[in-house]
Amino acid sequence: MLDKLFYREKGLFLQSLHPLAALTYLGTLLVLALAFTNPLYLLGILLVVVLAIRAVDGLEAWESYLKIVLFMMVLVMIINPLVVHAGQTIIWHGPRVPVFGRLTISLEAICYGAAMSVRLLDIISVFCLYNQIVHPDKALNLFSRFAGKSVLVISLATRMFPAMVRELESIRGVQQMRGVDFDKGSAKEKVRKYSSLVNILLLSSLEDSLEIAESMQARAFGSGPRTCYTRNLWRPRDVLFLTGSACALGAGIWGLLHGFGGFTFYPQLDYLINGPGTVAVLLIVLFSLSIPVIFSWGWQRCHYLKSKIYFTIIRMLKDRP
Amino acid sequence: MAGESGSGKSSLARVLAGLIPDFYGGRFGGRVYYQGCEMRGIDRRKLARQVGMVFQDPEKQLVMTGVEAEIAFGLENLGLPQKEMFRRVAEVISFLGLTELRQEFTASLSGGQKQKLVLAAVLAMQPQVLILDEPTSQLDPVAAEDFFNLVKRLNEEMGFTIVLIEQRLERCFHLADRVVIMEGGRVAQDGDPDQAARWAVRSGTLLIPPVARFFSMLGFSSLPVTVKEGRKQLRQSFSGWPVSGRPDLRKEPTSCSTGQTLLVEVKNLWFTYPNGRETLQDINLKVNAGEFVAILGENGAGKSTLLKNMVGLLQPGRGKVLLDGSDLSKNKGRHPGRQVAYLSQNPNDYLFQDTVEDELLFTLKNFGMEDDGIVAELLEELQIGCHRRVNPRDLSSGERQRVALASVLVTRPDLLVLDEPTRGLDYRLKADMGSFLTRRVAAGVSVVLVTHDVEFAAEYASQAIMMFAGRIVSDGAKHETLGQSVFYSTQIGKLCRGFSEDILTFDEAMERIGPLLSVKTVARAGTLK
Repeated sequence: MLDKLFYREKGLFLQSLHPLAALTYLGTLLVLALAFTNPLYLLGILLVVVLAIRAVDGLEAWESYLKIVLFMMVLVMIINPLVVHAGQTIIWHGPRVPVFGRLTISLEAICYGAAMSVRLLDIISVFCLYNQIVHPDKALNLFSRFAGKSVLVISLATRMFPAMVRELESIRGVQQMRGVDFDKGSAKEKVRKYSSLVNILLLSSLEDSLEIAESMQARAFGSGPRTCYTRNLWRPRDVLFLTGSACALGAGIWGLLHGFGGFTFYPQLDYLINGPGTVAVLLIVLFSLSIPVIFSWGWQRCHYLKSKIYFTIIRMLKDRP
Repeated sequence: MAGESGSGKSSLARVLAGLIPDFYGGRFGGRVYYQGCEMRGIDRRKLARQVGMVFQDPEKQLVMTGVEAEIAFGLENLGLPQKEMFRRVAEVISFLGLTELRQEFTASLSGGQKQKLVLAAVLAMQPQVLILDEPTSQLDPVAAEDFFNLVKRLNEEMGFTIVLIEQRLERCFHLADRVVIMEGGRVAQDGDPDQAARWAVRSGTLLIPPVARFFSMLGFSSLPVTVKEGRKQLRQSFSGWPVSGRPDLRKEPTSCSTGQTLLVEVKNLWFTYPNGRETLQDINLKVNAGEFVAILGENGAGKSTLLKNMVGLLQPGRGKVLLDGSDLSKNKGRHPGRQVAYLSQNPNDYLFQDTVEDELLFTLKNFGMEDDGIVAELLEELQIGCHRRVNPRDLSSGERQRVALASVLVTRPDLLVLDEPTRGLDYRLKADMGSFLTRRVAAGVSVVLVTHDVEFAAEYASQAIMMFAGRIVSDGAKHETLGQSVFYSTQIGKLCRGFSEDILTFDEAMERIGPLLSVKTVARAGTLK
């Protein structure tokens, strides 16, 4: 059930990107989502990310993320107005409560909470997209040249994770058959029951780790400097998408420096659209970011484009000595 | 290389791979030479290119998340250039037929595929010697057979030197050029398979295939080690008999004792996992009190799922599991009570207390029961009484399994359900387990177990059930189900096919075919005089 949240090879266009291009693209999305404060910009990024997720058949997975995030979004929208008193447009004067002081709900605080929750959704969605398009091995491969050991640890951890989930399930079954009732008892007792599960898992994992170490030793791990095996292909499309990301990042930063993309919430809400510049920068950023989505769409729908990309690759391969 | 658990086989294998003493440490004496050079003097990198080792459990040897990365792991460690790595990975992938799995995650592979991948990762380093430490002990028979065929090819076609440690000798005895038998940390016998078989017969160990044992017990001079050779021998011995005069070896059907009390009844059971895989389809099954049922079938046939439904760990989608008349599917997510004991595949899932005794007391406490001497009784019966105050994690895997078994048996259950209890056990431990379960059955406990080990099922079970793709395809007394099967039969069963249909075990063959053969040999000896 959980496996739809993780990477699966579907042979889709966006999954074929070079990890550097993919990570740059995702990084750009992340940076822009954190840098922009204008709700329009944040919504625009959300739109692009969701379209990209759709392009990799990931909407189902995104929905599972959404279920968790929605709760947090609501929380942000409720707590922010309660604790922030910077807004001027007060829409409700509440009673005096300890710690918070007098409760005043301002329109600005609500709007700020809403914008921040969209940003949260942006960020989570970018991570969702990452899980859909980047094969973890490929991403790690990129870093293993200069951080080999850390990468190996991460790789081992990700490899062990599904096995440990399965193991935990079976330990739970075994304990249940030995008369442990996980639904009964006080919270303290429950914690004790569950901690014994983790205890067993930890003991077994420690034992297993020795065997893995042995297998690594038998395969000459740590016998000297390592090299790095990589099969990532660099295609023309990667150049294009890298340029797109750079363009979006450039336009975004230029916009922020010149007063587009930002937004003042306090003490009073700013205008959402501050002249044509706001729209222009937004359009440039969004277009640059949607290049991969457009290509992915074209790859699926338009056979001409598909063959065009295909033949470019063939030609490039032929040209190579 | 063969020998009982704890005879030092694995340690010797690790010495040959250079892991002892380099990885383990310890006190040691003597020298190991590889092609005339002392092994300790050889650079680790160089050694890894000469000697490769595959261990027991594929789960505990994989390092990377992807198949291709896993194969390349050893090559990266050797510091090979990119181009060389490409070539080697490609070669190994095509040789082992892993092309389809190239993009897969290692976690999603089956046990057999994982072990193949481990082998691939070692082969990519192009060693000259392959050391395999019980590589098939965690695999089902089909995957194990596959693996052996591969090893055979590597040896015969590619010229690899192979040191194979194995428990189930009927599978690989004939592949070996040399058999080394270890006993108590020493090499007890070293020679060709025929000599090894003779030695094993003389010293009374069970370390030879049943076919060889059968003929050796009857005093034959040449010992066949495969079914084919055995049948040839049998045919020759019977050839003197006129066809009509061939004695009818058919046994009268054993009278079914009626009036047994029904303990478990599975009625029209269907089960689907949350991912939509329909694992059990319309299962109907009855287990009487004091019955010993073995469930056989390939991996993924739904055997373990059926067990979990029977003990109430999983709730059926449709249908019922009745234990003593009460419906188990009603108590969602709770234990079905002290009546049912369940031993999972991995005994380590049980062990977390400080001492062996505490493990047993833990179960008793959960069910609110007192120790009325059952703890001591069980520990003695399972021969772990001397480890009473020892931490269970300090014991060997066979002993751990017995601790786990004891920890579920303290409640004096009426139904004992075991998931592959013979996995990774040697001949002796398997026989111990079999006779222990038989004693339980005699005491009125119903035993249901899943096993891949047809020999074990034929020897000890009374009923055998065959499952295929989520359904029961055959259910009945073991002679009925196993006797009719061509593939799911014992080596002795395969040997006697056509001579007598009802023989499955060594004892049955000795009892029924044995006298005829010895009469025949005596007669022949008489005419010779």
